[in-house]
Amino acid sequence: MAEEIKEELQEEDTQKGKFMTFQTGKEYFGISISYVNEIIVMQPITAIPEVEDYIKGLINLRGKIIPVIDVRTRFKMEPIEYTDRTCIIVINVKSTVIGLIVEKIAEVDTILDEDIVPPPTLGHKENEQNKYVYGLARTGNTVKLLIDPEKLIKDEDMEVIEEMQEEEQE
Amino acid sequence: MKILLAEDDFASRKFMDKYLSQYGECEVTVDGEEAVDAFMMALEDGEPYDLICLDVMMPVLDGYQVLKAIRDIEEEKKIPKENRAKVIMTTALNEERNVKMAFELGCEAYSGKPIDVEKFEKVLKKLGLI
Amino acid sequence: MAEEFSTDGMLDMFLYESGQLLEKLEGIILEKKDEECFDDADINEIFRIMHTIKGSSGIMMYENITKVSHKLEDVFYYLRESHPDNVPHLELVEKVLIVSDFITGELDKIKDGNEADGSETAILEDLDEFLNRIKGEIKEQGIRLPKENKHEEPSQFYIAPVASEDSHFYQITIHYRNDTQMSNLRAYSATYALKEIAENLLYTPEDIITNEESAEVILAEGFHMLLQTKSSKEDVIKLIDSSEAEKIDFEEITAAEYGKGLTEIAQEEAPIIINLDDDKPEVKEEKKAPMPGDYVVKAKETGKGKTLAKNQPKQQSIISVNVEKMDALMDLIGEIVIAEAVVLQNPDLKVPGLELSNFYKASAQLSKITTELQEVIMSMRMMPLTNVFQKMKRIVFDVSRKLGKDIELEVIGENTEVDKNIIEHISDPLMHLVRNSVDHGIEENVEDRTALGKPEKGKITLEAKNEGGKVYISVKDDGKGLKKEKLYEKAKNNGLIGNKEITDFTDKEIYRFITLPGFSTKEVITEYSGRGVGMDVVVKNIQSIGGRLEIDSKEGFGSEMTLVIPLTLAIINGIVVQVGQSSFVIETASIKEFVRLSEDAIVKEPNGEEYIVLRGECYPFIRLNERYQLPDSQGKVDNGIVVVLEHEGQQVCILIDRLIQEQEIVVKPIPSYVKKVKGLSGCTQLGDGSIALILDIAGLIQGEERG
Repeated sequence: MAEEIKEELQEEDTQKGKFMTFQTGKEYFGISISYVNEIIVMQPITAIPEVEDYIKGLINLRGKIIPVIDVRTRFKMEPIEYTDRTCIIVINVKSTVIGLIVEKIAEVDTILDEDIVPPPTLGHKENEQNKYVYGLARTGNTVKLLIDPEKLIKDEDMEVIEEMQEEEQE
Repeated sequence: MKILLAEDDFASRKFMDKYLSQYGECEVTVDGEEAVDAFMMALEDGEPYDLICLDVMMPVLDGYQVLKAIRDIEEEKKIPKENRAKVIMTTALNEERNVKMAFELGCEAYSGKPIDVEKFEKVLKKLGLI
Repeated sequence: MAEEFSTDGMLDMFLYESGQLLEKLEGIILEKKDEECFDDADINEIFRIMHTIKGSSGIMMYENITKVSHKLEDVFYYLRESHPDNVPHLELVEKVLIVSDFITGELDKIKDGNEADGSETAILEDLDEFLNRIKGEIKEQGIRLPKENKHEEPSQFYIAPVASEDSHFYQITIHYRNDTQMSNLRAYSATYALKEIAENLLYTPEDIITNEESAEVILAEGFHMLLQTKSSKEDVIKLIDSSEAEKIDFEEITAAEYGKGLTEIAQEEAPIIINLDDDKPEVKEEKKAPMPGDYVVKAKETGKGKTLAKNQPKQQSIISVNVEKMDALMDLIGEIVIAEAVVLQNPDLKVPGLELSNFYKASAQLSKITTELQEVIMSMRMMPLTNVFQKMKRIVFDVSRKLGKDIELEVIGENTEVDKNIIEHISDPLMHLVRNSVDHGIEENVEDRTALGKPEKGKITLEAKNEGGKVYISVKDDGKGLKKEKLYEKAKNNGLIGNKEITDFTDKEIYRFITLPGFSTKEVITEYSGRGVGMDVVVKNIQSIGGRLEIDSKEGFGSEMTLVIPLTLAIINGIVVQVGQSSFVIETASIKEFVRLSEDAIVKEPNGEEYIVLRGECYPFIRLNERYQLPDSQGKVDNGIVVVLEHEGQQVCILIDRLIQEQEIVVKPIPSYVKKVKGLSGCTQLGDGSIALILDIAGLIQGEERG
């Protein structure tokens, strides 16, 4: 369809301000839809030994092998049982494709730039998730924590620590 | 200098005509047969072309056939080598064997398209045309 | 993709041929550098090479290359004609190398699509001065100067097209709505809009203006266009009037696909050819080379679409293939191997009572073909090490001269073939090893050598051989060798090995110290090696392709570094095993045996380490379920299977629950997001779609040692 092409061109625009929101525990999170490839149901996961606890393992996504991480564990929150509402959001961040295990998907929300406030910088140090949250947005009657996926998958603090550990070992 | 341009593609023709006109009077044909006719006519009139630019992919006769015809005619009329027309092939077909064949058929230069104008001018100088 | 592939065949050929000639030239020079002078055959050959490069670069209009090769040709012209004595041979060798480097550099620029803009003046002056000296020498020796070397200016030129690599090629198909009126005219207006940006445009049906019936064809089959343009996809789409279009297929294609044209979709029509060569039939007998008349464009009234009268003749027994396509093919074959496993191990087949003998017959045939298919693609990817070794020759020459060492290089087995991927990865490590040998291996002072009864001239041997599915590439020198005490001291002082005594280590373990990060025995850092990032990087690179480095040495008599690398990376033979719920793959080649043991065979150390005593030998023992904290595994030696694994002469035993089967394993990397896990080298997809992790024996052993 001719419209199809136009749609494709407009895609960048239509994605702007759209967020995939999901719930994990009591909190709602949002992730810009431009990072989201697809959402799939929970898959059999092959665990990888000796990796960070939040890396749950590998899944086979139609022949491509991708790692999946548990968002709750990533944020140092209590793990939960996986149920049939648990799903995997497959995101693509600068060509790194990974899956995020989330308790349940809420909806796609439009959040305007002006509705996003930066997270409070003081007093929340103990809160691991703040490192990956770049803004808060109030839509409806919930506050959504907006995640920066680039920070989520690339955690420099962790890398430094790991390197140090490695050196000690050797 | 008197120039003959054989080129069937309108856009290329327009560009080449404009470009070559700065060096002399440029006559244009749109297929291979016309090019050979024009060449013959110019010979008969005693005002042969100094430079002939030939596209390869053309209707009726392709550039190689035209080139061959021109060289054959010159041979037959015993035109001394230094007085023969300088022929530059202009084409997007630039596989080695295409170029080789053109060289064997006796063209002076073979220019890939899109044409590198700077080098084209250098060649014209080397051929003693400008 | 297009960048790597110049669409200009003529330019490709020039680059290829000149490259070949220069390689040959360098080969001659490096082979003869130690002789007194070049013999007549060499002089002739070098003269011929320069003459050819001069000629072809002249046609291609790379003037700096022409001038430089011209000048060197002159030098060899005089050598050839007058045979003067006392030619400073080493200086001549150097001059030739300078010229060859210059031309190589310019060719590289051209390859990358840049101007060949290197300045030739310095080289020309240098060569002129040299030439004059030789001429003087010739006169002095009373030989008559030959006639000036006659040069013919090339009379034919090739003008390379500008920036043709930047062009995109698109295949566009417009499907109009069924009720569209005058779709042929709409199609025409689409072509008209595109002509503005098109460098070339082919379309079908072609007679859209003159033939109203073409409207029906367009409605039925769509309107197909092939477009060559510099514009981006978005710009092109904007130009196409899509108001009546139901669907527009838009696909970027390669230059080669473009070259094939619309033949598959275009309807056949007898072309009008007037053959000028009627009276010379013998010319037409030429086999498949293009001929005048091959490029006649079809009669004009069909509109502007161009189709060649004949398809361009296909020939050549060798074609060059884009590496990306080879890789894609490789991936696909990997998928086939997996798909085959999915079919053959399909759980549906396990239904009891099925009559499957025909199925198994057919599947055996399928397996045979996929195996052959793999072998063919593997062999396509195999390349000899010749080029890599050639580079090493040059390095030995350069470095040894700069360091003032007299070194002979022996090369053995340079025709050994290795997977192309692997060649790319070994060039740098090998270069490092060779430099090390020249720099650190061979003694600085000749006296040090003669004192030990060795010849004054140092010797480095570069050898490649193919044995048992692995390729061994060794760099051997007859130099100082490694001093164990010194290595031990150094490693200890750098805090790399803790407080262990030197007697705690075997010789090989001590040699291995040099591969530890932060270890460099050379006190003085030289230009060529020993920047502190040394052998550890070599080892890392080699390990990344599944290879290893073996070090052997005899103090005072030299060392030998051997790279042991797999022939290929992508597919291995492996045995799938199960521990708890997890599947692992072990490479078949590293398995020594499977044994069933009882718990009594296990010796438990107070610190928790376990050993197995098997036929009087003692092996470290790893319970995989404990090592990797795998639940649901019984972990009982009595019920499980013990696998004895061997890697580089070291053994380790692991306990697994169950053997599944042996099969071909398509190795896939563990996604880079997951940090490297010791003991795992990759993963693979099994027949049922689940994922198995591939065990890395070397990593397991290392982990065990550290533990």
